[in-house]
Amino acid sequence: MTGLSVGEKLFIQGGIAQDLRTDGRKRLTYRPIYVETGVIPQANGSARVRLGGTDVIASVKAEIGRPSPMQPDKGKVAIYVSCSPTAAPMFEGRGDEELSAELSIALQRCLLGGKSGAGAGIDLSSLVVVEGKVCWDLYIDGLVVSSDGNLLDALGAAVKAALSNTGIPRVQVAADTTGEDQPEVDISDEEFLQFDTSNLPVIVTLTKVGRHYIVDATSEEESQMSSAVSISINRRGHTCGLSKRGGAGLDPSVILDMISVAKHVSEQLMNKLDSEISAAEAIEDDS
Amino acid sequence: MAGKASATPATYSPSPATRKGKPTIYKDGDRDWVRPDGRGFQQCRPAFFRTGAVNAASGSAYAEIGNTQVIVSVFGPRESKKAMMYSDVGRLNCNVSCTTFSTPIRGQDFDQGSDHKEYSSMLHKALEGAIILESFPKTTVDVFALVLESGGSDLPVIISCASLALADAGIMMYDLVASVSMSSLGSDLVIDPISEEESYQDGSLIISCMPSRYEVTQLTITGEWSTNKINEAMQVCLDACGKLGKIMRSCLKEATSATSE
Amino acid sequence: MEYVSPEGLRIDGRRPMEMRKLHAEMGVVAKADGSAVFVMGNTKVIAAVYGPREVQNRSQQMSDQALVRCEYSMANFSTGDRMRKGKGDRRSTEISLVVRQTMEACILTHLMPRSQIDIYVQVLQADGGTRCACINAATLALADAAIPMRDLVTSCSAGYLNSTPLLDLNYVEDSAGGPDVTVGILPKMDKVTLLQMDSKLPIDTFDNVMQLAIEGCKAVATYIREVLLENTKQLEYHRGV
Repeated sequence: MTGLSVGEKLFIQGGIAQDLRTDGRKRLTYRPIYVETGVIPQANGSARVRLGGTDVIASVKAEIGRPSPMQPDKGKVAIYVSCSPTAAPMFEGRGDEELSAELSIALQRCLLGGKSGAGAGIDLSSLVVVEGKVCWDLYIDGLVVSSDGNLLDALGAAVKAALSNTGIPRVQVAADTTGEDQPEVDISDEEFLQFDTSNLPVIVTLTKVGRHYIVDATSEEESQMSSAVSISINRRGHTCGLSKRGGAGLDPSVILDMISVAKHVSEQLMNKLDSEISAAEAIEDDS
Repeated sequence: MAGKASATPATYSPSPATRKGKPTIYKDGDRDWVRPDGRGFQQCRPAFFRTGAVNAASGSAYAEIGNTQVIVSVFGPRESKKAMMYSDVGRLNCNVSCTTFSTPIRGQDFDQGSDHKEYSSMLHKALEGAIILESFPKTTVDVFALVLESGGSDLPVIISCASLALADAGIMMYDLVASVSMSSLGSDLVIDPISEEESYQDGSLIISCMPSRYEVTQLTITGEWSTNKINEAMQVCLDACGKLGKIMRSCLKEATSATSE
Repeated sequence: MEYVSPEGLRIDGRRPMEMRKLHAEMGVVAKADGSAVFVMGNTKVIAAVYGPREVQNRSQQMSDQALVRCEYSMANFSTGDRMRKGKGDRRSTEISLVVRQTMEACILTHLMPRSQIDIYVQVLQADGGTRCACINAATLALADAAIPMRDLVTSCSAGYLNSTPLLDLNYVEDSAGGPDVTVGILPKMDKVTLLQMDSKLPIDTFDNVMQLAIEGCKAVATYIREVLLENTKQLEYHRGV
């Protein structure tokens, strides 16, 4: 991917060891985050998040559907990520499928909780309109427009911002529905219900380079990693999902240490993100 | 083979509880619930491994843990495809597929005979840290896993079985990879869950580790966990991985002593 | 259906000869050699250019000119109804080809033999006229990548509904099934490089509609020139000249 000379590699590694990275950041500092909401007018909610050279867009679309017979009291959520070839020529044609699938799975794991739905950032039971018959299907689409490392954290932030930007139309159910018939629903196009996003976790990826780990790695730094752990953490400080990426094995105590570091970092990130989201929404309301 | 049954059960006898009986739905308030197959919360199912299941492959292994049955075959190292660029380390290619009869409802989870992308990439991640890729530059090793019957904790069984198949093929590794999963059900943690428990779980933790080096090659967590719970679950799983690693090791020893005789 | 009201206003409130609001920005993708976003009303397209660089596939290398490639892709959320189509369906392939041929005609390919230029266009929002927006975005991205060109290429569409020629159709007007003329021109040289039409039109009306589309292209060209000038001023400013 990125062709680096031996000197450049040593420079990056040495900088990380001395807690002064090539762009002047410390090991546990994020690049500035810019959030813009409502970028896709056709969607129910959308957001664009920029993190240095990384630029991602997330959109949320809600459609009326039927709950699955296995879980009649829950709506459905699907998350798809795709990587645009504008981000890198290697995503041309089918070249993005592998990374897109990996990012989609990682996001699902971090946001949707366990099989029973416990610990999910998105409350699926709030999506039900008529139990067993009508529910909302949420389609969350992520698009990577420009890539400079740390895609998962950026996508997680974009999905969080898009969901807090999402308005779900109020639904009136015709009263005289009985028995097996599919009830008729009337979707309001004026009244919207805000989505509760207070439980949504943020994703923090710790990249291990040499003996140290860093947050928010650029693609140059990512090329030097030995392994990376993505941890999603909610406001209560609980872990909502974790996945390890990349080769080398880690000592179990190192992983536990990473979790506690991630927890610490996530608080700052969450506050920063929340203030950015509310600022973005204020701008959108004004215009 | 049967004569050498030492610590490991040489044959596997299915526990009858998993086959019959209505699902005992686990209730939140009930502290003394019993697992559907009568195991203790921290008790794994009996494991059986055997290498050399597929003759055509460079190496292969068969694993049977409870009702979960998996065959993994390894081909290679062979020359990488021409289209691929030069690489001074070897490539690992993993593919997991399921038989249509692996689940109670035919072809329930997957399209007929198609491969399972998520498992394939997870298998790749769990193994790549253990293989000494520098030992076969410019070449590719293919790992094909087939789930014959899905009985819960499929992915950990595939991972353990694949590392055994790689060892059988003579691919250089730092250590065997043993993998164990854990489900959180309410406030309880159960190790090595069966399908039924997995469908009720609030969260899951899958850990793959190299027991002798005491290093984790892959860890995935879903659902909401507090740090203490992660701590506890990891400790129990790592212990179980250690024991599983011993079983796998003795299976390899048996296979080599059988050929040398 | 009535596409032009008796007062002479279109569905979205424009007059027949009025274009949608244009907006363009350069340098939106950090890692690309050149990039631009182009907005026409609700249609929004990003283009990124990589190259000139070494040819990836040796068999496609040409010893006397550069190889120009193009890929068009649509985001899942770009249309009103959510779709999940893979890349490389027929429509995308066709538009990729149209954009590639149009851009190839204006790039001075003979100056860069044995090299490759990739143009990737990504539709973020589709509301009619994606083809035109793609070409306009690609022009800006190529200029941002400092790739030598004969002239700018600009594109605009025009249609004919309710016996009125309409400039720059939106999605509703586009799907009405009437004639739709897409024109791409080299504005300085006053030459047409792209001309496509669906449906049928009498010759004399076609002249009018095409003339209208060309006027649209010229308006786009004026705007693109402004953006380029502004961008150059910014560059100059950052260099401290």
